[in-house]
Amino acid sequence: MSTVVYSARRIITMNPNQPFATHMAVRDGRILGAGPIESLKGWGKFEVDDRFADKVILPGFVEGHSHAYEGGVWKFPYVGYFDRTSPDGALARGLKSIDEVVAALQAYEKKMPRDDSTLLAWGFDPIYFGGRRMNLADLDKVSTARPVVVLHSNFHVLNANTPVFAKAGITRHTNVHGVVKDERGEPTGELQENTAKFMAYKAAGVELAAILSDDAATWGFAKVAQLAGVTTATDLHNTLPDSTVAAYLAASASMDFPLRLLPAFAAFSMPPDEGIARLRQLAKKNNERLRFQLVKIITDGSIQGLSARMRWPGYYDGTPNGVWNVGPDEIDRLLLAYHRAGFQVHIHTNGDEASEVAIEAVERALAAAPRWDHRHTLQHAQMADAGQFRRLKALGMCANLFANHLFYWGDIHYAKTLGPERAERMDACGTALKHGVPLAIHCDAPVTPIGPLFTAWCAVNRLTASGRTLGEVEKISVADALHAITLGAAYTLKLDEELGSIDVGKRADFAILDDDPLAVPPEKLKDVGVWGTMLGGRVFEAPRV
Amino acid sequence: MTAPIPFTVIGGFLGAGKTTLLNRLLAGVVGRRFAVLVNDFGALDIDSELAAKHGGDTIALSNGCLCCTIGDSLVATLLALLERSDELDHIVVEASGVADPGRIADLATLEARLHRDGVIVVVDADDVQRRAADRRVGDTVLRQLKAADLLVLNKIDLTNDPSVVRTWLGGQSAAPVLEARHADVPLALLFGLDQHGVSQGDGNPKPFRSWSYSWPDAVDRSALLAMLNEAPSHILRAKGIVRFADSADRRSTVHMVGRRVDISEDGSWPGNAESRLVLVGTSAMLHSFERSETAWPAD
Repeated sequence: MSTVVYSARRIITMNPNQPFATHMAVRDGRILGAGPIESLKGWGKFEVDDRFADKVILPGFVEGHSHAYEGGVWKFPYVGYFDRTSPDGALARGLKSIDEVVAALQAYEKKMPRDDSTLLAWGFDPIYFGGRRMNLADLDKVSTARPVVVLHSNFHVLNANTPVFAKAGITRHTNVHGVVKDERGEPTGELQENTAKFMAYKAAGVELAAILSDDAATWGFAKVAQLAGVTTATDLHNTLPDSTVAAYLAASASMDFPLRLLPAFAAFSMPPDEGIARLRQLAKKNNERLRFQLVKIITDGSIQGLSARMRWPGYYDGTPNGVWNVGPDEIDRLLLAYHRAGFQVHIHTNGDEASEVAIEAVERALAAAPRWDHRHTLQHAQMADAGQFRRLKALGMCANLFANHLFYWGDIHYAKTLGPERAERMDACGTALKHGVPLAIHCDAPVTPIGPLFTAWCAVNRLTASGRTLGEVEKISVADALHAITLGAAYTLKLDEELGSIDVGKRADFAILDDDPLAVPPEKLKDVGVWGTMLGGRVFEAPRV
Repeated sequence: MTAPIPFTVIGGFLGAGKTTLLNRLLAGVVGRRFAVLVNDFGALDIDSELAAKHGGDTIALSNGCLCCTIGDSLVATLLALLERSDELDHIVVEASGVADPGRIADLATLEARLHRDGVIVVVDADDVQRRAADRRVGDTVLRQLKAADLLVLNKIDLTNDPSVVRTWLGGQSAAPVLEARHADVPLALLFGLDQHGVSQGDGNPKPFRSWSYSWPDAVDRSALLAMLNEAPSHILRAKGIVRFADSADRRSTVHMVGRRVDISEDGSWPGNAESRLVLVGTSAMLHSFERSETAWPAD
C-alpha cells in the first residue's frame, strides 16, 4: 500500500470544490487526494515524485465516440491531407496534392512483395485539392499489375486503379449506383457507398474486419489514444464476434495496456433477446480496462455522404433526403428492448430527422417503461437545434456532438450540404450547454484523428479548414470544453462517479500535459503537448519520436 | 469458369411479408440449393425436420438449402458465402425493411460469380399507401417500389377495394404485379425455376404458363427489345439463347425479369442452331399476349 504524491505546475481537477491544486496523492491505483502537500500528509507515509513538477495534470481524457479499428488501419499506409500521429508516435505527414499521394504510394508499392497482393491505403480526402479528383490514371501510375485501393477518410468512398475495375468488369456500360462517371460516361476510378464497400472487401479480402480488430489493432488503438492523453475510450459500434472479444480480453488483461476500453454492442446485428443475453454474458468478463455495458443503434448515414435523414427543407443543394440504415419502427423496437433490459443506448443520428426519430423513440420507451437516469445519448446530433436540445434535457438524454466536423467538413456543409444558416449552428455545443444538456464532444476516429484537445479546440474556436468561423454564439469556453472531454464525456458513459475528475476515491487516470490549456490562448489549445498519461496510477509516457 | 449464380433480392417495408415469402421458398423448393440471407433466423419457420445443422450464423437445411444471418455487413456475409459458391444454385437476399433493394442487386453486377436475377418487392396492400404518405419513410417506400423488377401485392384480401391500391401502385412502378394472400405466389415465376424446382404437392392447378418461340434466322435486336418491353403485364420473365443480326456469330443470352432485360454474349454461335426464347407468365393474360404475338420479330 504505497502512496505517491505527485507535484505539478498545476492540477486542473474538474472538481468545483477545489478546481486547482499543486499536489495529488495516489494509492492503489486510485486518487487519495489533491491539494497543497500539507493537506495530504495526514494520509500517512508517502513518496514524493517530482517528475511532473513542470507539467499540468488533468483528469485522463475520455473519448466518448471512437472506433478501435483506428488501431487497425495503421497496418495500411495513411494518405490523408493532414498530419496524423500513428500508434508508435511517428508523424505521418499530410499529403498536399494528388501527385504527392501517388508518389507516396509508389514508394510504398516498391517495398511490397512481388505478387498480386492488394495495396490498400486510407485517409484520403479530395476536398482540399480545389475540385481535382483522383482518377484511374493516377493510381495506374502506382501499379498496373496489382490492385490499388485508396479509401477516403470517411471510409464510404474509394478510388481504385484499372486492375480493380477490369477484374470487376466495371466499364462505361456498368449501370450501378456508386460508380462515378465523367462527362463522357467513363468510370473515373471513384466508387461510393455499398459499391465501394463491396470492392474494398473484395480487394482486401473478407478478413479485413478481423484484421482491423485483432490483438495488434487493439494495442494500436490504445497507444494512439494514449498519445492524445486519452485514458478511457469507446469502440462505439461493434458486433463483438468471438474473435474481437478474445482480442479485447487478451489486450486488456495486461497491466501495460494503457486504456479503459468500452465497446458498444451493435444492436442491429442480432435480435434483441439474443443481443441482451450476449451482452450480459460479456459483462461478466469485464475487467479494469475493459467494460461491456454500452449499446449502439445506428439510424441514418452521414451529412457529407449525402445519406443523412434531414427534416424539411433537406439538403441545401437539393440532394434528395438520405437513407435509413435502421428505420423508425426498428429504432423503436431495438431501443425499447435494450431500455427495458436496463442498458444505456447510444444512438447515431447525423440529420435532424434522425435525431427527432431517436428522441421520440426514447419518449415512447419512457412512457412504456419509466426509468430514471437512463442517459440515452444522441451521438453526433450534428443538426440538432434548440428545440431538440430542450427535448433532450426534458427526457434526461445526453448529447455527444461531433465537434471535429466543424473543422474537417465545415466548409462543405456551409457551401453545399447544409447552407450557411444551419452550418453556423451545427454541432451546437453552446445551445446544448445553455439548455443544460449533459455534453461530450468527439472525434469518431478513425474518421478524424483521436485528440481531445483538438476536439476541444474545435468546440472553442469553431474554425473550418479554410479559416471560416461557424457560429460565434455556439462557441464554448475552454473550461467548458475541457469538462466535455473529461467529466462530461464520463457522464455520457455512466462512468462519472468513477473517473473524469480528480477527486478522492476516483481512479488515478490522468492526462499529463506540457502546458496549461487554461493559460494558453484559446486558438492554441490544440497545440498543447501531451507528455503522456497515467492509468490506474501507472505512468505511460508518450514515445518521443 | 462455372456459370454465375442467380442473385435475387427481396425487398419491401417492414411487415410486408418478405419472411412469409422466404418461408414458402424454403419449404417448397426441391432439387435446387438456395442460400437465403436474412436479417433474423428467429422469424424463419424452420422446423426441426428441415434444419439439419445449426452453425452459429448459418443453418444448413436437409433439402440442401442454407440460411445465413446477415449480421452487421451484407457485403462481408455475401463475400464469405461466395467462397462456397460451388455448393449453391441460387442466392436470395432479404433486404432490410428500409434498404433500397436495387442497390443490393447492384452487387451482382460487380461480381463475376453472380448473375443479377431480379428484385422482388413485397408490398402490403393494406398499408403501403399510408407508409408512402409518411413524411419519414415515404421516400424510402417509393424508392423500393421503383427498384422492383417484380411486385408482389400481398395481403390483397385485407383491402376493402383492391382496385384503389392497384391503380396507385401502377402509378409508382412499371413492374408487373402479382397479387397474393399470405405471400402465396408461384415460386417458379419469382425465381425463374423450371417446373422441377418447386414441390408439386399442394394440388393447386399451376397458376402460370410458359410460351416457347424459335427463329431460324438472326433476330433484330431493337425489335426484340421493343417487344419485350411491350409484353403484356402478366408476362413476368423471359429467357432465351439468341443469334442477333448485329452479332451473328455470337451466342447471346437474353434474360428478362419483370421489364428489366439483360443481354450478355457468352460464346460463339453453334452452327445452324435456332434462336430460342421462353416466356413465363400467369395464365390470366394469355389471350392478350397472343394478340400481340403477331408483332413478334420472328421469321
